[in-house]
This record gives sequence, C-alpha cells and structure tokens, in this order.
Amino acid sequence: MAQDTTHVMDKVRRSLKRDQPLAAAPVPPVIDEHIARLVSSDIGLPELFARQAAHLKMQVEMIRIDDLADGLATYLKGVGSKRVMLTDLPLIRSLSLTDHLTSQGFDAKYASQIKLDEAYDFDAGVTEVDYAVAESGTLVIRHRPEHNRAISLVPFVHVAILQPKNFLPDLIDLMDRLTKEGTGSGVTLISGPSKTADIELNVVTGVHGPNIVKAFILS
Amino acid sequence: MSTSSAPTSLPLPVIGSFDFDSASTAASHDEKLKRTLNTAVLRQDGGRKIRLAELPNSDALRTLAGQIKQHTLDNLDYYLDKLVANVEKKGGHVYFASDAAHARQIILDIASQTRVSRVIKSKSMVSEEINLAHALELAGMDVVETDLGEFIVQISHDRPSHIVGPIVHLNKAQVAKIFSDYFGTPINDDPKALTMQARDYLRDKFRKADFGMTGGNFLVAEAGVVASVENEGNQRQSVTTPRVLVSLVGIEKLIPRMADLAVMIKLLSRSATGQPITIYNNIYGGPRSPGETDGPEEFHLVLIDNGRTEILQSEEYRETLRCIRCGACLNACPIYRKIGGHAYGSVYSGPIGALITPLFQGLANYKDLPQASSLCGACYEACPVKINIPKHLVNLRRDIVNTHLNGVFERMIYRLWAWSMTSPMMYAIVVRMQKMELRRRAMYTGWVRKLPFFGSGWTQVRDMPAPARRTFHQQWRGKK
Repeated sequence: MAQDTTHVMDKVRRSLKRDQPLAAAPVPPVIDEHIARLVSSDIGLPELFARQAAHLKMQVEMIRIDDLADGLATYLKGVGSKRVMLTDLPLIRSLSLTDHLTSQGFDAKYASQIKLDEAYDFDAGVTEVDYAVAESGTLVIRHRPEHNRAISLVPFVHVAILQPKNFLPDLIDLMDRLTKEGTGSGVTLISGPSKTADIELNVVTGVHGPNIVKAFILS
Repeated sequence: MSTSSAPTSLPLPVIGSFDFDSASTAASHDEKLKRTLNTAVLRQDGGRKIRLAELPNSDALRTLAGQIKQHTLDNLDYYLDKLVANVEKKGGHVYFASDAAHARQIILDIASQTRVSRVIKSKSMVSEEINLAHALELAGMDVVETDLGEFIVQISHDRPSHIVGPIVHLNKAQVAKIFSDYFGTPINDDPKALTMQARDYLRDKFRKADFGMTGGNFLVAEAGVVASVENEGNQRQSVTTPRVLVSLVGIEKLIPRMADLAVMIKLLSRSATGQPITIYNNIYGGPRSPGETDGPEEFHLVLIDNGRTEILQSEEYRETLRCIRCGACLNACPIYRKIGGHAYGSVYSGPIGALITPLFQGLANYKDLPQASSLCGACYEACPVKINIPKHLVNLRRDIVNTHLNGVFERMIYRLWAWSMTSPMMYAIVVRMQKMELRRRAMYTGWVRKLPFFGSGWTQVRDMPAPARRTFHQQWRGKK
C-alpha cells in the first residue's frame, strides 16, 4: 500500500510543480461573514428555529419542563407508538422519562440497554440534541456511547427535546463549535423527516429514516 | 495489499469512444423523455434560483466558495497529507488508488479480509465512475443500491441520467412497471406506495448488512472527516449498522476547515435541489469509539485519482476540479433538457460532463462532447463554485483543432476558406459563386429550402432567405 500512497502523492506534487512538501501552511481564504452568515442575532432563536423547522415539515411544540413528561406520553400515544427507546442523557434521566412512560403503559427502554438489531422493532426514539441551528431548523447530534446513531434513524418517529442552551444562530456557529470541540466518532445534522423526490419530483416522506420528527422546545 | 488484476469482464458504462451524434439525435426525438425531463429539471432550476436569492449576496458567496476550492486544489498535496494524518489519528485506514481497477481491487481486498458479504451502498458518482457495484457483485457479494433512484436504476439494469436525480428520465408509469416486474406485484403508480414498497424491502437489507459503502461530498482536512449530504436516510444506515464502512472519494473533494463546510452546505443544497439544507448531513471519519453500540468497527477511506492529477497539472483546466457535483448546470442547460443524461455516453452528463469527460477519458474518445453546448453561459451562471464552463468548452474545441482531431475534411474546408480570404478578389469570387448558387436554389419562392451535403442538417428544420441580388460590397460601392 505504501507504494501507491507515494505514487499518487508524487503525482499530485508533480502536477503542482513542487519537488518537496510546502514549508509553511498555506492560508485559506477568509470567510467574510457579511456574505456567508444568514442569522447573526442571538435573540429569538427558538422562535426562528420553530419557523424554519415547520417549513421542513418538522412538528414543533414549545413546552414547560414540568409538562414535558405528560406532553411526551400524550404525543406518543397520539402517533400510535408503543415501544419507545430513549437516550441515556442527564435531562431524560433527571426527569425519569423512561419510568414515566413505562407507568403509562409504554414499553420504554434506554437505548444503551438495546442491541442494534432490536432497535428495528422500536416505534419511537426520544433524544436530546447537542445543538439546534435556528438558520436552517437543524438538529445536531454528536454520536457517543450515551447517544447512539440508530435511535434517531431507525424508528418511525423521532422526538427531540431541545433546551435553551442548545440554540445556535447559524451553520457558521455550528462549524465553529465542531472545530473547537471536535467531531468525535461522528456528527449527524437532521433537518426534517426523511424524504425523497426521485419519482417525478413527488415528495414522499419516511423513506429510510423517521417519517415524523417532533421537537419539544423547553421554555 | 496486493494490486493484482481486477475482474476483466467488467462491462464498463463507457468503453472507448461514443457516438454522441446518433445518441443525442435519438434522444431529441423521444417526446416522452423530453416531457418528463424538461418538467423536472426546469422545476429544480427554478427552486435553485429562489433559494439562492435568500442569501445576503449569493454571487459573492459563489466567488468565495470557488476561491476556497481553488485554494485547496492549488495546495492539494498539503491538504491531502493533513487529511490522511487526521483520519489515521482517529483510527481510520487510508488508501490511495491511481485508477478505477486499482480502487476496485483495494475495496475487494478490504471486503475479503474482513469477511463481509452483505453490502448496502449509498449513491455516489465516483462509484459509478469505477462501476463498483458490478465489481462487488462479480465477487459474489449481495450488493444493494439503497438510494431510491439508484435502487430503481439497479433493478431495471439502467444507468443514472443525472448527477443528483438518477431517474429523472423516467416517469412514474415506467417506475411502476419496473417495480411490478421486479417484485411480481400489481402495477401501482402512486409515488408514495412505490416508495413504501422500496422502504419495506430495503429495511431488512439495512438490518442485516455488514458492509457499508458510501461516497463523500467533502473531505475536511483539519478534522479528518468525510461530509456527505442526503435526504432519504439510506446513507445514515450505511454509517450506522454495518461492521465495516468504506468511503470512496475523489482526491479533489478536499476543503481545509470545518468553517468551509458551512459555506459549501449553504450553496450545495440550494444549487442541487433548491433546499436550504438537505434533510441529513453526515459527518464521519473513524470507527466507533469505545462503549458505542453502533457505527462501524472499521473505517476505510479510499482516495482515488483516476485522471484527476492530469487535470490538476494543467493550470488552465485545474479549476474544473472545483466541481461539487450539484447538478445545477445540468438543470440550467437548454441542451441537457432536450437530450437527457444518457446521450452524453458518460457517467457525468450535462455541461460539466461535456467538460470533464474528455479531460478524464481523453479528448480523442469524446471529441463531440465539447460541441454539445450552445455556449449560452447558463451553466456558468448556475455554478456554485464559478467554473467557467463555456470558456473551457471553447478551449477544448481549440485543443481539438490544434491536435488535428477534427478530421481531414473539416481541416480542408477551413484551409480553403482561409485561402479564399487572402485577397479581395478571391473573396469577391467566392461570395459571388455562393450567392448565385443560393439564389438559384431560391428561384421560385425566395427561400432556400434545401442545402446539399453538410448543409442539409441546417435546412432540415428551417428555411433560409435568399441572399440579396447585389452583395453588400456592391451596394456600398454604388452609394459612393
């Protein structure tokens, strides 16, 4: 393998008319925020997020933290979910959402207790998010042991719980955070229910990901 | 890893030269194709314009995106080194492939060493370029294209006709027939029902897959990650369930920083499908971390050259490698809208295909493609990274002349023409002969209805008025 690496890298260098690696790091173009940024204010981000997310066919509901447990149970009943998996994160733990859902008759489990293959038999996944980008109505999830990939992908319904601290104005701010904090083993940006328009541009939702994405915004 | 020869019986989508003339003529007479295609791509083109208008200054942002890509290409050696180091730091494996056969072999070797056989593959242009799915099938693997459009292409043994919408050439009745033939179910042309049928079928494939195969829209050097856009969620499945994940990406896909990704995402999704952002943006680049319950256990990144360094070498054509494969130039092109992607005889169609196919595969094999443009400039105006496509198409036409690829007959005609222009008398004689012949042909109606030889194509669809009795020069002299 080493030979081929050298071979292609040599060709690249020759193509650029260089005989040795650059001595100093090249300086990429400056990103002028006046032309790249769509949202600059920190004010009213949850409301802006809600508007953008609604355009993307996400369902958005503002809710007080005390009402979340009941609101969640009512919502999941409404969409016909029975088996529910939840992320193993501080907010969900502190509100004992799993116990609450179980007492309401749901089969509710932490995602960390479920094998990947079993995830395919669940109706809904309830998650927190790392960020919510107001510009584009985007949920951002960083993968880690407490927050796996399948929970927001495999079930038919994805419910995300958004806290005020999660909101960022613009994708530029998100990339700034990811630069500082790293991308870990992966980051997913979600902006609405899974969809396709491959057949004569007819939009159909719920292709290979969730058909319903619901965001509870805590106020 | 060995580089022994790849399977030899591969029916590559493109073999040697291709008869653009007959393919485009046939396509332009296919009314059904034109209707389906024109409606779809015009809508996409309209969506793009609306979304770009949301940006504070879309023209300046396109300039910036072009500069970012150009800067990366001009320093590609530096950024490649950086990317490789950062991917390896995360525990990923990186390979370089010089050509298609080599890339196929690397991926087949990974598959056999890791003992995987159930492949879920998401849509990627570069995998079409090297005909990867077929190579994996020949090696005995169960390969399924999981993007809805690509899945339909796969089960109907068709070829994608658009960089973004692979089945933009099919209407729903045709798709319904394909599903009915494949699954043995009654014909139903409701797009929702068809989509759900594919979902149910593919869900089981996702669940059992052990090999995920993806492409990538961008490679971020400083973070050591692949960034990829999609709407369906099938690519997310590829990076979630399978034990082994392989990403095959062209070496030109690099960008330096995560910050650049914000600029690119804003432009790519707007230009491609008229969306402010695609439903999913996946950023990944290593195996799962300890304690995680899903994600790949192994991550392999295959970086492919396959002709790209040839283009990099040319300072003139280097900017064509900026392309982010959004397909906006296809949607904007009046020629593409009339003939569709298949007529280009290449994986990459439309204006960008007419430009990069001859550069990748040799001008001699595709010397008709640079002519497949009216040079109206719509592609340049649509391009989110400002590749001056019309200029480069003219340059390719120049190269055709300079390398004598245009044929003896054409050269003779131009030589004669040049010679006739060398003196006023010669010019006057030629013009007079031309005038007499054209007036003879237009004797009764005042219109030239039919021209002989190579002129016949021109008069097939239009008449030409007879030239004036006295030439301009004669009239000018008469005035004085």
